[in-house]
Amino acid sequence: MNNIFKFAIYIFLTLAFAWLAFFVGAKNQYGDLEPTSEYLEENKSVPKDADLFPKSMSGNAQLGAKEYLSLGCVTCHTQQVRTIDAGFDVERGWGQRPSVPRDYILQKEVLLGHNRVGPDLANIGLRGYTREWLHKHLFNPQILVEGSICQPSPFLYDVANEYSTGAINADNEADDNASTIFIKPTLRANRIVSYLESLKQDYELPEMSFIETQDEDAEDVEDVEDVILAEESTTKEAQSGVPTWLADQIASGKEIYSKITPGGGMCVGCHLPNGLGQPGAIPPLDGSDWVLGDKERLIKISIHGLMGEVVVNGKKYVGAMQGFGQTLGSPLNDQQIADVLTYIRNEWGNSVSAISPEEVKAVRDSHKNRELTSMWTEAELQKQNSSD
Amino acid sequence: MNKTSEQQIDQSAKFAFSFFVASAGLWLLAAALLAYIAAAKLTDPLLLSSWEYFTYGKIKISQANAFVYGWGGNSIFAVSLWIIARLSQSPIRGTVFLIFAGAIWNLAITSGLLGILDGHMLGHELLEMPKEVWPALFISYIIIAFLILVVFRSRRQKVTIAPQWFIIAALIWFPCLFLFAWNGLEINVGRGTLQSILSMWFGQNIIWLWLTPVALGCAYYIIPSVLNRPIDKYYLAIFGFWCIAGLAPWSVVHHLEGGPVPMWVPAVGTVMSIAMVFPIAVASTNFHATAFKDVSRVWNYLPLRFVIFGTLSYTISSYIGVIFSIPAVAKLTQFSIINEFHFNQRVYGFFSMIIFGLVYHILPQVTGKEIGTAAKNFHFWTSALGVFALLLAYLIGGLTHGVLAQQPTLAWITVIDSVKPYFLITEFAFIILGFSQLVFVLNLWKVIVPNPFSCCEKNVEQKTA
Ligand code: HEC
Ligand code: HEC
Repeated sequence: MNNIFKFAIYIFLTLAFAWLAFFVGAKNQYGDLEPTSEYLEENKSVPKDADLFPKSMSGNAQLGAKEYLSLGCVTCHTQQVRTIDAGFDVERGWGQRPSVPRDYILQKEVLLGHNRVGPDLANIGLRGYTREWLHKHLFNPQILVEGSICQPSPFLYDVANEYSTGAINADNEADDNASTIFIKPTLRANRIVSYLESLKQDYELPEMSFIETQDEDAEDVEDVEDVILAEESTTKEAQSGVPTWLADQIASGKEIYSKITPGGGMCVGCHLPNGLGQPGAIPPLDGSDWVLGDKERLIKISIHGLMGEVVVNGKKYVGAMQGFGQTLGSPLNDQQIADVLTYIRNEWGNSVSAISPEEVKAVRDSHKNRELTSMWTEAELQKQNSSD
Repeated sequence: MNKTSEQQIDQSAKFAFSFFVASAGLWLLAAALLAYIAAAKLTDPLLLSSWEYFTYGKIKISQANAFVYGWGGNSIFAVSLWIIARLSQSPIRGTVFLIFAGAIWNLAITSGLLGILDGHMLGHELLEMPKEVWPALFISYIIIAFLILVVFRSRRQKVTIAPQWFIIAALIWFPCLFLFAWNGLEINVGRGTLQSILSMWFGQNIIWLWLTPVALGCAYYIIPSVLNRPIDKYYLAIFGFWCIAGLAPWSVVHHLEGGPVPMWVPAVGTVMSIAMVFPIAVASTNFHATAFKDVSRVWNYLPLRFVIFGTLSYTISSYIGVIFSIPAVAKLTQFSIINEFHFNQRVYGFFSMIIFGLVYHILPQVTGKEIGTAAKNFHFWTSALGVFALLLAYLIGGLTHGVLAQQPTLAWITVIDSVKPYFLITEFAFIILGFSQLVFVLNLWKVIVPNPFSCCEKNVEQKTA
């Protein structure tokens, strides 16, 4: 190593080779995975109208992932079900099948982790816990699991001694002397719980199907309970006819629609909870052709805003609505816009197809050069429409 | 080597060395405090739980970062400066820039840790400090490393020896590693689990290619120079060096065994981890065959006692690490608290012990003052006891944890209940270590800053001279 430059290059190369293999190599191998369906056509193509997996998380859950990250939950919880040769994760009931790379492609924060002081959470959304249970667990795990060392996050809740709407009773069942307390989840707590609920690998993929565990038919009480829970949820789904992912998106959208605080769209402040707006000033969303019609136009005005004279349901309105894509205040991301639009397209008397974040992204990308503060006018939209 | 030039070199290193060692000491205390809080929260999760800043996850992660970048980084700068200057027989230049860059480095870590506690951490192993601080860290690092390389370039002797390879390589590895990881994690972000591969690769390599080689370089330096005899089977050292350089970057990903990544990734990692027995054997032969020729000197000269403790701990636990990377064993221990064993043995049992030894060795030469023998002995024995208790608890606790976790019929809380006693032991071990390090740092500061006024005067003298 008498020549420092030569030496430095060798040292650099030792790393570069490993990096090339692990990052560039792996990226070439599976960097372009896309959502796919359980069964493929014979020519390996995805059948038309098939439900594609994995689904992207609702906007609320994505925000929850950030909170989960910032609280360092990953120091104790993994989110990966190992293959059956590598451990007993499936037998332990932590998943119906091992996790595969495709499960993670739509997640921004991939929190595989490598410590299991707590159980694996890759499928926590499938374990049949209610929202209330998850909230109580997040508030203080010890009131549910005696001796738990899971990290409590009481600072995410407003604590009171009396019931108020939305509050959850969080008494310590193990401790008789404890006084009655009620906890009210903050926005952040709701996000984390939505995130936990969204963690589920409950679909099969071409590369990995469910694994039958040997003690399937053992008359384990827990198993029976699980089955009942699972049956309940499928019957519920069949009755309302809304698949879970859509229900999730609508629920998340409703939250965004109704929220005046940061992280919400504040729509409710102007268009009101009944979606009827205010006569003369704010147009209605219920039954509006703008909402039910052309998806692209709807996405455009959500990103950049709308101003000037518009006609909704035969009535004229003059006003302005700023776009939700601009960076002032709290912008909504693609997923959040998709959620809130899906919600207004399926609330009140409305019922039309959902809008996916990919569609929002496509529109956003095709108008990259447009200033985010420059609002659309009806005339401009019409002109664009007729020109292309 | 003639005496006057040695003194000149020590004199030139005095200010920068003292600065880095003093800041390293403060970080060591900060890390010890955080480590204790984290351990205490495992025995009583409700402790301090109503403050968001003291969330277990945040404390745990900031502890690792304070330890690696604060204590590790600063002490690496200090010892490599001095060793490289001594071996090159060439004085240090640009002390002002070293101090300036060092101040930025420390400020950046401080704000990075506050960022983590405030909830802005990133999700990559040992890259958790918020994005904004990394450019500052990187640039200040480059300045310091550059100035050390300048000293190395102006060396009197063309021929280089083992300590120089290890230290210079470590200095170059860190920025390369950082750029590779930053590229894949923040610039051309890989989708899905690609991020996890890269983050694992970076986090483990920081330990293997930054802390480890510096500590090995220190041992290669101090053992022959104190014992006054050449390293036994020295010709193997270069083989050991290139083995580490060639194998370590590949071996670290074996922790992903069975996970959602292409199968070949952990498989390559496992093979390479097992091949690591060669460099471990080389270093161990080199050090111990030399040291055991003069046991009494090793025992009586305290800095060397620290270093040999470190190298022994390196050997033993690296072999344990190799055993735990064999798939049949990894199945049990992969996600258990054995991981804490690996981390702590490397940063406490090996790296820190060797650095303590080096600091005790260098300090009197640079400042002309000795730390009292009683304090040094106290530090040695409490450190040894603390490290021993800590590692044993994590090792046995980890095996218990791993074996019980593989019983699908056992409720998870039962598994954790059986590990709890070991958490309690680690809490005590961290108390012992904390006291031991407090004594070390207090004495260190007393020597370095004997009296704020006389220190300033000397400063002025130095600059005008
Ligand atoms: C100190 C390590 C630790 C940290 C940090 C931690 N957990 Fe836990 N977690 C556990 C342990 C141990 C259990 C098992 C006992 C129990 O159910 O409470 C657990 C259980 C859970 C469960 C129930 C899982 C199940 O299947 O029953 C959920 C949900 C959970 N944790 C969420 C979180 C969240 C969210 C965070 C971050 C705010 C977090 N945990 C941080 C240790 C931890
Ligand atoms: C500041 C009040 C305000 C807020 C908040 C607001 N809007 Fe509007 N919105 C308006 C006004 C005013 C118009 C009519 C614009 C015009 O006259 O050019 C409008 C028009 C619309 C239209 C097209 C006309 C119609 O009624 O179908 C849609 C769709 C719409 N808004 C959806 C939303 C959604 C979704 C949100 C929340 C993400 C939202 N708005 C939030 C004021 C608001």
